[in-house]
Amino acid sequence: MQGRWAVAEPQRPAKGLTLYRRIRNFVLGSLTGIAFLVAVTPLLAIIYVAYDRGKEALSLSFVTTMPSGFPVGIEGGVLNGIAGSVILIVLASLLSVPVGVWAGLYLWDQGHTRLAGATRLLSDLLLGVPSVIWGVVGYYVFSTNTGFGFHWGFSGLAAGLTLGFIMIPIVTRVTEQALRDVPRSYIEGALALGATRFQVMRDLAIPAAITGIGTGILLGVLNVLGQTAPLVFTNYYNTGIPHSLVGSNGSVGDLAMQIFIYIHEPSKALHVKAMAAALVLTVIVLLLDMGIRLLSWGSRRYARKA
Amino acid sequence: MEQSVSEAVARKIEVREFSAFYGKTQALKSVNFAIPEKRITAMIGPSGCGKSTFLRSLNRMNDFIPGFRMEGAALLDGEEIYGPGVNPVLLRQRIGMVFQKPNPFQMSIYENVAYGLRIQGVKAHSLVSDIVEKSLRAAALWDEVKDRLKGSAFSLSGGQQQRLCIARALAVEPEVILLDEPASALDPISTARIEELMQDLKDRYTIAIVTHNMQQAARVSDYTAFFLDGALVEVGETTRIFTNPDDSRTEDYITGRFG
Repeated sequence: MQGRWAVAEPQRPAKGLTLYRRIRNFVLGSLTGIAFLVAVTPLLAIIYVAYDRGKEALSLSFVTTMPSGFPVGIEGGVLNGIAGSVILIVLASLLSVPVGVWAGLYLWDQGHTRLAGATRLLSDLLLGVPSVIWGVVGYYVFSTNTGFGFHWGFSGLAAGLTLGFIMIPIVTRVTEQALRDVPRSYIEGALALGATRFQVMRDLAIPAAITGIGTGILLGVLNVLGQTAPLVFTNYYNTGIPHSLVGSNGSVGDLAMQIFIYIHEPSKALHVKAMAAALVLTVIVLLLDMGIRLLSWGSRRYARKA
Repeated sequence: MEQSVSEAVARKIEVREFSAFYGKTQALKSVNFAIPEKRITAMIGPSGCGKSTFLRSLNRMNDFIPGFRMEGAALLDGEEIYGPGVNPVLLRQRIGMVFQKPNPFQMSIYENVAYGLRIQGVKAHSLVSDIVEKSLRAAALWDEVKDRLKGSAFSLSGGQQQRLCIARALAVEPEVILLDEPASALDPISTARIEELMQDLKDRYTIAIVTHNMQQAARVSDYTAFFLDGALVEVGETTRIFTNPDDSRTEDYITGRFG
């Protein structure tokens, strides 16, 4: 073996990397490391600051009791906020998941048509609309009777639907992208067997893209969880859990709104509660994220090896 | 110029003055060509010569490409493939296709083969499993996978995956099988197995294969068609095309002077 290559040996450059390449390796490697640190530091900082400032208020009862005392919230926990956030997510998802996924499927299937191009453009424009604008429009359309005569007042339904409309373009976008990532050859394989477009979508495209679609829905949910501005105009806040989702008693609590209100109160104790609530919200987001990852592992039974 | 193959063999597919366009680009220029029944017909030619376009036009897979347009006639058993009453979905059940890269579905080996039946609404379990076994046997894959039918199709090697795709195409009992460079992503041993398989299948199916590999065309096919720049230059019995072609361009290509 040695002999075969011996002829070429003298012409080869010295073994190992040149000094220049070693320096470049080191510099680029360090930049990557720094970028990583910059990216994760905010998360660690949020968790640390929220825990450090809010730890006095943290206990199991913080997530299982309603706020009480005067000013309201000085005692008790944030159950109203957790329940309200869940209600808002459910309402927003009920609107945005069917519409967004359907729109994503349409853009994938008919993507080259003019109508699809217009849909994509408008959907992307909606992504850039500031949430405070959504709030004002939601207020006119859902809360007052000036728009379509709904007159739902400051209510969970008005807020949930407004948040749902914020979510639709996110779900649409990510659904279309997830479907586009399904290899074309895979789709053609089914079409060549005599499958209809609907069968291809149902049996192959959606199952292959389901992880991506789930991620898109989660991204939308996480976005909605953190929204405060739209709620100021459509729901505001409730210290309890309402019996109805419309009308003057239809407001729900909301974690993000609760943090916003507590921070504005001139009370040290409420500031502590706000930081504890921030930690609860962050943990909910992390749990949701991990949940979707676990779900996507489950669906990879027959997945192609990377 | 009507170029015909041996008159004794029935014409399974016939195209007349067939042209194809992608937008303003013409990919096929007035091709006249017949694919004989229960024979293997190979299509050779340099990259971009239109042979794949031709193959994909036969089962209307090009319908999905925006801007695709055809002129002329393509006939399956004398019936228009592009006729107004033809449902391309049903057409593709009669003309199966196997692609360049193995593309099994993210399903078990069993379900991959059964899928073509499922979409036709075949539910009876015994019937489905009979056809799955028959198809896997026909694709010379049964012995290798019979103990792991519920396993992922991606646990198979590339060559096995391609035979699985052939089994999948056979399960819907097509009359014609189109092979688009079926062995170009495979190692030589897997390639040899696919070629053997084609010989086994030609008793029952009409086979059309596009290949970049002229040796492969010479080994497996009964008839060979040579495409160049979107036109059919010459078609005839494989032995004649490779030993005594009529057209000098065919000779240049098969002797390796270009392409």
